[in-house]
Amino acid sequence: MSKPTISRGFRARPRPEGQGKRVPPGQHVVGDFPVLSAGPTPQTSLQAWTFALQHGGSLLAKWTWAEFEALPQTTVVVDIHCVTAWSKLDTEWQGVTIEALFEAAGLAEPPEPYAMIHCDGGYTTNLPVEDLIDGKAMIATRYDGEPLTPEHGGPARLLVPHLYFWKSAKWARGLRFMDEDEPGFWESLGYHIYGDPWNEQRYSGD
Amino acid sequence: MSSAIPATEAGGPGPRRLEWRVAEVNDVIPETHRVKTLNLGVPGWPGHLPGQHVDVRLTGEDGYQAQRSYSIASAPDAFHVSITVERISDGEVSPYLVDELRAGDRFELRGPIGGHFVWTAAQGGPLFLIAGGSGVVPLMTMLRHRAAAGSTVPATLLYSSRTFEDVIYREELSNLAGRGDGLTIAHALTRARPAGWAGYARRIDQSMLAEVGFPASARPRVFVCGPTSLVESASQLLLELGHERSLIKTERFGPTGG
Amino acid sequence: MEKAKEGAVPFDGNAAAGLLRELFALDLTVASLTCEGCGAVAVVAEVRVYGGPMGAIFRCGACDTAVLRLSRTPIGFSLDMRGARCLRVPTAPA
Repeated sequence: MSKPTISRGFRARPRPEGQGKRVPPGQHVVGDFPVLSAGPTPQTSLQAWTFALQHGGSLLAKWTWAEFEALPQTTVVVDIHCVTAWSKLDTEWQGVTIEALFEAAGLAEPPEPYAMIHCDGGYTTNLPVEDLIDGKAMIATRYDGEPLTPEHGGPARLLVPHLYFWKSAKWARGLRFMDEDEPGFWESLGYHIYGDPWNEQRYSGD
Repeated sequence: MSSAIPATEAGGPGPRRLEWRVAEVNDVIPETHRVKTLNLGVPGWPGHLPGQHVDVRLTGEDGYQAQRSYSIASAPDAFHVSITVERISDGEVSPYLVDELRAGDRFELRGPIGGHFVWTAAQGGPLFLIAGGSGVVPLMTMLRHRAAAGSTVPATLLYSSRTFEDVIYREELSNLAGRGDGLTIAHALTRARPAGWAGYARRIDQSMLAEVGFPASARPRVFVCGPTSLVESASQLLLELGHERSLIKTERFGPTGG
Repeated sequence: MEKAKEGAVPFDGNAAAGLLRELFALDLTVASLTCEGCGAVAVVAEVRVYGGPMGAIFRCGACDTAVLRLSRTPIGFSLDMRGARCLRVPTAPA
């Protein structure tokens, strides 16, 4: 393929210096919080909202909003990395860790090694359960001290910051355990099945 | 440089791959404080139809690339291929195109693209054009083509802008309307008006569409282009006024033209 | 929250025309699609498209079913059409 024409003086937006070790390869830091959605923003009322754990068609646990809010809450400050090359540092989230959920559900051990997150609007994403526990992930209900807005995934989204941010599924409503890894929405469209930003696993084949 | 004969989207007897071509800036023409028209030389340009657009790709020295789409502003028979670009304040591409580019600079361009949002005089009318902000660009191409073709198809442009200073192609639109060939132009300024303003002073609504536009019984071909919110609202109002769905064509410009 | 509205607002099939044209030799924006979810028919150019830089997710205006899902990655294109029952592409000029 021939080399594209270079446009004099064109450069990407200026990148802040000095965050080298915190920024995975191919990423640049932004100050705003871009929104990317695969569909229209659902408007689920807190009265209607529930979060469920499922396995093989059985309901293991289900929480209403009030019940969910009564679970042990955790606040984290993390960096997030989008596959479209932006990274945002020091973002603050509050919610319920996945292992707190498992504990509340009485699960001593996760019943399967993989999980699919199901969301309002039909979005899905898959992860190894191992990447959800040990403080690696939560169902977040607050961002920057405020309730999560619908545009950013409210009432609740999965937050799993060590993977590309498409895995931090917005409008999360349930987790379904799977015995084998299956691709979710973007993973079925050529994006990497795992998505580790530190190994630049953006697309399948990476 | 450009073809005298309007080409189909495919550009020839059969389908063709769309390839990136090199565009060279010939002139940079300020339109408003944040909008400029770029007159481009594009070797091998196959011609286009009014309403089509191009993809523009910029590559920096470091290999960084960004790509955006822009409606073609020039009529099919014009000497240059032109695009009109609005600078989006924190955009990635538009600030470069508007603030940095000068005559002699080059970038890549691909097109023409899109066979749906297209009008040629041969399609007839009446023609009802509704524009919001920089959505006026593809509609202007249609009006430039209409004038160049000597068409007297009845046509109306309803053009919504924030302020008088934001109206793109202001003088040329006034000249086109003054030709007496059946074109009427109505402006709506939504944020601020100059003293003595006689045009509309509010957002497009149903009574404005009914006053300005052709009645549904005239079966006008309607083209709506602008921000998504304006396009969806105007389309809905047109349907409520009885216009046929199949005669309304829309093109949404996102706020992130870029 | 900064920029919340922008990414949430969809474009339409016109905006995805370039990407479609990379994959198909014909202009698909003038084609009509029948939604598998509700049977609504729409012209591709006017279908709402989501997904921003990651891909083009065309959704039925009536029921939000994803009628076409299209992405381009370094290894190639992915096109999922499970949400569309029928695609009609005119070849004569409009």
